[in-house]
Amino acid sequence: MLGQRLIGGLAKWLTVSGARPSRRHVLGTGAAAALLLLGTPVALTGCSPWSSGREGPDQLEAPARRAETDAAQASAVAQMAAGMPNRTGAELAAAAKSLAADRTAHANALRAELHRVHTGTASTTRAPAPPPAAPPAAAPDLANAQSALTEAMHSARDEAAALVMTLPGYRAALLASIAACCATHAALLA
Amino acid sequence: MTPFPLRRPHPDMETYRGKGVTSDPDMSPYRERGDGERGVPVGALQAALAAEHAAVWAYGLAGAFISGTLAGQLGKAETVHMARRDATERALIDAGARPVQPEPGYLTPEPVTNAASALRLAITAETDAAAAWRSVIARSPADPDVRESALDALTTAAVQATRWRAAADADPATVPFPGAP
Repeated sequence: MLGQRLIGGLAKWLTVSGARPSRRHVLGTGAAAALLLLGTPVALTGCSPWSSGREGPDQLEAPARRAETDAAQASAVAQMAAGMPNRTGAELAAAAKSLAADRTAHANALRAELHRVHTGTASTTRAPAPPPAAPPAAAPDLANAQSALTEAMHSARDEAAALVMTLPGYRAALLASIAACCATHAALLA
Repeated sequence: MTPFPLRRPHPDMETYRGKGVTSDPDMSPYRERGDGERGVPVGALQAALAAEHAAVWAYGLAGAFISGTLAGQLGKAETVHMARRDATERALIDAGARPVQPEPGYLTPEPVTNAASALRLAITAETDAAAAWRSVIARSPADPDVRESALDALTTAAVQATRWRAAADADPATVPFPGAP
């Protein structure tokens, strides 16, 4: 086992390096970008690092809302599953409870970052309380509730992972941890 | 029971002990000339490679104490880190850097003497790897070239750490911010 080396699957670096633009190309692009920056100092003063120069809600707003919704949904599932007598119910209740706790932590961290950046602006207003989670089904259905949570974790991971590619360092790292955490919950629920 | 003589003990053992099996999570010693050239965060990647070396070493040690179905999972996790180590070495070479070498041995946070302590070592190795890869994301430019691989590595480490915690009956088995300091 120790002597075995698997190079498939994870060899992303190789493909990346193969497709990498030449140094000259990069330098050329950089110079062009620098000229562009020099030429438009006024236009840039209004830019914020998180908005890439366009108006609109902060990009952390959507993942913050999603985290709040997930937390509410997981809490509802935990409550419902805890009422079930069987072992599956107890296990799902525990999983949903820890999911709710982690997603609440995500929401708080994202809200804190939003607050830090937007202090004093109109957009600091906290989003209205998350909509109450719709009960997963009329009849408590553990399997449905479980797959709904799993699905939610996949969506949350994908949303956060997409933002990791474009946001500045600190925010990208925060979203990366959130994406990874959602992946761990999806793995546990599956 | 360590296969190699231990080396590089930190002068401050108490500080060191809290930091898992890699030598220094923030890894500033690995910063190199050319860091950031072509957008590749060489210093952070070297730190991640160091964490992968440590993980491979840790799994080699843990494997001696774990049997049954967990041994199969352990072998797979070890293979993942070997592949990641090799890919990271190639990325560093591509960036014109000389990849860091593994240490002959590492200090473990506690003596590894049975399955339970071996499992905790595996959790530590995954936690360290997650932290190193998160740092790569924080220090790389906002484009997918480096970040996609780093996010994949962070996620894989976080999921594996969670699986080991679940196997160790830890409650909760998850952490809200894998890789965060």
